[in-house]
Amino acid sequence: MRLAAAPAAALLAATAATALLAERLVAVAVLAALLLVLCLRAPAGRRAPYLFGALSSGLGVLVLSPFLATVGYQVLWSGPTVPVLGKLDVTEEELRIAALNSLRLTAVALAFTAYALLVDHDRLVAAAGFARRSALAVALATRLVPSLERDGAGLAEAVRGRGVPVSGLRGHARLVPPLVAGSLERAGSLAEAMEARGFGHPGHTRAPAAPRTTWDRLALISGIVLVVAGALWL
Amino acid sequence: MALARIERLTFTYPGAERPAVADVSLELEPGEVVALLGPSGSGKSTLIRALAGLVPHFHGGRFEGRVEVGGIDTRRARPATLAGTVATVFQDPEDQIVMGRAENEVAFGLENLGAPSAEIWPRAHAALAAVGAGRLASRRTAELSGGELQRVCLASALALEPDLLLLDEPTSQLDPEAAEEFLARIRGSGSAVLLAEHRTGRALALADRVLFLERGRLLLDAPRAQALAWLADQRPDYLPPGAPANGDGRTGGELLCRVADVDFSYRRGIPVLAGVDLEVRRGEVVVLEGPNGSGKTTLAKVAAGLLRPDAGKVELRGSAGYLSQDPGRYLVRERVVDEVALAVRDRKRAGAALELVGLGALAERHPRDLSSGERERLGLAAVAVAEPGLLVLDEPTRGIDPERKKAIAAWLFAYAAEGRSALVATHDRSFPADRRVALPC
Repeated sequence: MRLAAAPAAALLAATAATALLAERLVAVAVLAALLLVLCLRAPAGRRAPYLFGALSSGLGVLVLSPFLATVGYQVLWSGPTVPVLGKLDVTEEELRIAALNSLRLTAVALAFTAYALLVDHDRLVAAAGFARRSALAVALATRLVPSLERDGAGLAEAVRGRGVPVSGLRGHARLVPPLVAGSLERAGSLAEAMEARGFGHPGHTRAPAAPRTTWDRLALISGIVLVVAGALWL
Repeated sequence: MALARIERLTFTYPGAERPAVADVSLELEPGEVVALLGPSGSGKSTLIRALAGLVPHFHGGRFEGRVEVGGIDTRRARPATLAGTVATVFQDPEDQIVMGRAENEVAFGLENLGAPSAEIWPRAHAALAAVGAGRLASRRTAELSGGELQRVCLASALALEPDLLLLDEPTSQLDPEAAEEFLARIRGSGSAVLLAEHRTGRALALADRVLFLERGRLLLDAPRAQALAWLADQRPDYLPPGAPANGDGRTGGELLCRVADVDFSYRRGIPVLAGVDLEVRRGEVVVLEGPNGSGKTTLAKVAAGLLRPDAGKVELRGSAGYLSQDPGRYLVRERVVDEVALAVRDRKRAGAALELVGLGALAERHPRDLSSGERERLGLAAVAVAEPGLLVLDEPTRGIDPERKKAIAAWLFAYAAEGRSALVATHDRSFPADRRVALPC
């Protein structure tokens, strides 16, 4: 089974929305787990940075937010008082909220990962109809992640090729400003190439897309059902 | 009637001190193939952009004179309006790719120009097949090599069936066979072609007429036979190269780098190098040749110690420096002299290295303000300043004019003669060497 781009993107967006709407920990955990399984279908080399970002940000919320929140009475651990932050204690309620928010964030990040790695953005642009420019901007922005990754590797290699070691967080952090400058330069060249190829010409058409299948329709219906269920019951 | 007409065009980029093209007049007839030659920074790319309407619409600047394409005055029509009548392929394929898959990339221009939906896929696939890239149709553009991307860009232009095809170094990343095959197809496309090329042999063999630009001025506009005579007299470096002017074949020096029985793969199961051997000795310049995808870049990186082989042995005596393809993209500092000083932390040595590549006067400029040819030289200075025992260069003549190429080759031989060595991975069969190593496909 292979979904068309638009229904697949809609289903992923609905899953992310449901994760944000749902209040039950188990429901959000199931959604996050399903999305993780889906993400594992992407090639290992490409999915690694996305999964690291999704899981580490979720873990960050789980670890930090109980110390920063001041909710609940069932104190599990009582810590020192820190200026500005106040008393560092952890309650049962805070842990539950942290787990829920952590899973929500992870689910949204995993939905984006699946969108970035598994959805054919070109066909999404083609299916966008009246919003073609916006869809193209989103597709190009999504491709920025792998482009930056490739440019970053090239930049690090070029610097190493001069005999200058690039190691550790500090070494790599030094490459961020030139990487951003390079991306801006590339964006200018890309805009020029797009204009030269008629982007903005009135009366554009679309290459024929494959017809919608039963699976595509089912995905769209499932997305709507998921959001409603998330808002009302989960 | 002329397909395109340029009348007394003078154009200056915003903030530039002198015009990029000055008082240029010429006409292009339907179906003719015109070679556009000249040194780096002579205004070739600007002339191409003027015919595409990108100058002045996209770049701004001061525009004098008149450019007409297909009867349309480019000052009154946006580049998007001219697209279709004109199709352009720029120097760097990596900077032109909009879509995620090759066939969608080719379809992009057709969709923009409102081609009938039913025609889009057949035309896109026919254009890909025409440049020998039919098998790439469903591949992700992010996974394609530079040479493959260049074919996709060319297919994107050909699919539009333009009256005028503007090609700026279109074969810079293709191996000689692929470049010749591509240019033969261009000849048969029926479009008028303006072809800017630094590898002049192919362009001169194909062209009906030759233009020569220097410092923005058009010095020559003549039929091929007449142009060859003018080049022989005035600019002999631009004549088709004969056999490369190789060095004296010194191979007796001490071994500096030895690659023995090396295997390497980027992805498990798809070997790029299998059982490869290579030796580079002190004092020699070795050229690494082979078609696209033969593993030249990978072997160069292995020799420079940037990639660790899956199997086999790499022995490197002393240090190695590696100049990547398109080094002008990988700039890290705010000033030219600081860019070179990065490796040695010595501005004096950096200044001396800049003088050697002819950039001494630009030491305080921002590296990204330099032209592409100047950036290539900056990259070379930034690697060579540390004086590594083995200097590894990957396609150092890409986008470099014949005079500069000759200068780089002479510089490399002098570098090697001082008891070091150079390994050059290149498609350029005219690049001189003491020894040539061919990698099979």
